[in-house]
Amino acid sequence: MLENQPEKWDMEVDLVSIGSGAGGLAAAIAAQDHGLSAIVIERSSELGGVTAYSMGEVWIPGNHLASGLGLEDSPESGRLYVQSLSMGYGEDRAMLNQAIHGPVALKYFEDRIGLKLQVIRNFPDYYYPHNNNSVAEGRYLEPVPFAAETLGAFQHKTRLTPHLPAGFTHEDIFHGGGLANILAWNYELLAERITKDLRCLGPGLAAYFVKGALDRGVQLFTDTSADELICDGTRVVGVRATREGKALFIKAKRGVVIAVSGYERNKDLAKTLSNLLDPVSMVFGTVDGAHFRLAGPLGARIARVPDPANLGIHMPGEEHDNGTPLWRGSLPFLGLPHTIVVNRAGKRFANEAFYRSVYYAVDHIDGATQTHPNFPCWMVFDHQARTKYPCGGAMPGQDLPEGFAVISGSLKELAARIGVDPDGLEQTVGVFNDYAEAGVDPDFQRGTFPWGAAMTGDIKHKPNPNLGTLREGPFYAIALQRMGGGGINGAGLVADHHCRVMGWDDRPIEGLYVAGNSMVRFDTGAMMQSGLSNARGMTHGYLAGRHAAGCPSDLLDTALAGQGTVA
Amino acid sequence: MIDTEQSIIIEAPIEQVWIFAKDINAWAKLMPGFQHCDIADADHSRWTLKIGVGALIRTVKVAVHVGRWAGPEDADFTFALEGDPVQGRGSYRAVALGPAQTRISLAVQVEGTGPMAPMWEAMGRPLLPKFARGFAEQFKGEVEQLGGGATDAPP
Ligand SMILES: Cc1cc2nc3c(=O)[nH]c(=O)nc-3n(C[C@H](O)[C@H](O)[C@H](O)COP(=O)(O)OP(=O)(O)OC[C@H]3O[C@@H](n4cnc5c(N)ncnc54)[C@H](O)[C@@H]3O)c2cc1C
Repeated sequence: MLENQPEKWDMEVDLVSIGSGAGGLAAAIAAQDHGLSAIVIERSSELGGVTAYSMGEVWIPGNHLASGLGLEDSPESGRLYVQSLSMGYGEDRAMLNQAIHGPVALKYFEDRIGLKLQVIRNFPDYYYPHNNNSVAEGRYLEPVPFAAETLGAFQHKTRLTPHLPAGFTHEDIFHGGGLANILAWNYELLAERITKDLRCLGPGLAAYFVKGALDRGVQLFTDTSADELICDGTRVVGVRATREGKALFIKAKRGVVIAVSGYERNKDLAKTLSNLLDPVSMVFGTVDGAHFRLAGPLGARIARVPDPANLGIHMPGEEHDNGTPLWRGSLPFLGLPHTIVVNRAGKRFANEAFYRSVYYAVDHIDGATQTHPNFPCWMVFDHQARTKYPCGGAMPGQDLPEGFAVISGSLKELAARIGVDPDGLEQTVGVFNDYAEAGVDPDFQRGTFPWGAAMTGDIKHKPNPNLGTLREGPFYAIALQRMGGGGINGAGLVADHHCRVMGWDDRPIEGLYVAGNSMVRFDTGAMMQSGLSNARGMTHGYLAGRHAAGCPSDLLDTALAGQGTVA
Repeated sequence: MIDTEQSIIIEAPIEQVWIFAKDINAWAKLMPGFQHCDIADADHSRWTLKIGVGALIRTVKVAVHVGRWAGPEDADFTFALEGDPVQGRGSYRAVALGPAQTRISLAVQVEGTGPMAPMWEAMGRPLLPKFARGFAEQFKGEVEQLGGGATDAPP
């Protein structure tokens, strides 16, 4: 163990949380509530992390809000769902730990900080109804609109998202016909929420936690980057940070929580840890793998679960508020009627209405030719899609900015212009159009995942919300770029059930915790379920804060003792 | 349609305010998110702006046409966003409150057209007054900074 203490500390607290997303804030709140003094340091100029960029979905099986509505579920059913989809890449103990503590952490933050979530009605699990333990609704929660004025001086220091209007809840969006039917949304309501700064989705979720931290006197430092962990030879005892260009040594008597999200903005780490080549990203630049730089020198163990490349699009002229180009996830657009995704051969290769299917297929390597048969790939759509649906930041019917799409009157010419086999594309579209008319996709089963219909289809489109012909020119093609997972990456720090970072010797590194996306996803393995990342962050923060305060949760031990196993 | 009118008192003579007001380039530069302004002729220009909605910044191009110059009191203009179904009109009115004091009123009306109109207007409603207010304050600041003496008004 390192011994690198400074001659003098600039500050002294019990717990330092590094990163101000759900994970870091939850840990600081839980610690402070259990009698510790806590500080959150955040490298960017705003609080809230990628949590605030998110859709604000929180996925917790067996939560009390669903049971209050009479929706039948249990943490155990959720655990079985996750485990059965994890393909052996996860760890049973980690899955059980999340299943047990998710509902507990939710209740805790409701009671303590006034977190208000609601069930997103009629919003199914990804694999509903294909998995025996999936549910049609109840596990997905989202924030009730949060009055950001109550944040006082931090109102404008708490992050918003460029990805969606933060004045709408899922309920509002689905009520208006879903993401596809953007013109039918209630914009009067949006205007009212913007005027009153009532925040929904991720900005709402992050704001609840910022408020919780402020209310109990947790110190919140923005523009403060953690650069090194400080140890006394036996345990982690502090952090060296940089603030206003100067070193700041913060003593952490009870522990340090690393909650700095993933590493996708660091292209080298993305390539070497996730085999993600030259990715673009939906998130801001500070999501660049600080957890490895911080914990690596202490011998922290890292591991990886499968994490396919996402696919992104950039509409020229759209930027983050710091001036960098904004990349959007292509997920909401790929499964829309009148839209397909094709490879160089002009062939479809996956169920475009279920992103897990597309993304894993994009990474596929043909060992015989040492190529990626499905990358590069293009989203191809017709005039009907352009008239009815949004595309990136462009509204239905709106001209696409120059450089966004290749446009042509004929499919063959379009294919030639983008370097796709023209005959292949024409044939694919011919077959697809027959499927679309019949409302059935025998090749890839588009439209058989209700989640995909809700999130990437047009729920008003008949007979199949994800199938519509490509018959009307002009035709459009947009090249899809490999993209990071929005902070969710496959590799991360290994931790025990109290979120203590583990060394390569399989022993916890004393005084060091990890929360959120910085922790490897042994609790999901190869599966993914939106809402789980925010849920993990909250849950990890709760567990880490309690443990650092000397009140560790014993629920996993109790559950395992009941099964005759030890934690 | 959404509209706003913002008045502000400027500590400068009306003629001096007009020197600033009739320079379309100077106006454009005061717009939040101004990138550049291409002047086609005395009445027509094209402004490139970066407009922020929440955490999203979009680059928009705005074609501006001044239809009436009636200085030092009045000017009327119209504008249209390129690629977005949004257009509008506005007016500049100045009244001399004294030899070195002028009240200006800026009125702006914005109209979305087509199926997206409700969206544009709902999103713009809370933003427009703030936007116009910010603009008026900047305008005042710039004119007052130009200083008392710099006027082509008759001595
Ligand atoms: C568009 C989009 C939609 C999403 N939707 C959902 C959803 O609905 N539900 C869901 O569960 N997940 C969703 N996600 C993913 C989810 O939001 C994130 O996985 C989750 O919020 C991560 O939380 P976290 O606490 O791990 O980190 P974050 O919230 O990202 O916080 C990490 C913070 O650490 C800071 N930091 C980094 N390095 C340092 C350093 N050295 N010192 C100090 N601070 C540092 C960063 O600036 C950042 O603010 C979405 C992501 C995106 C991009």
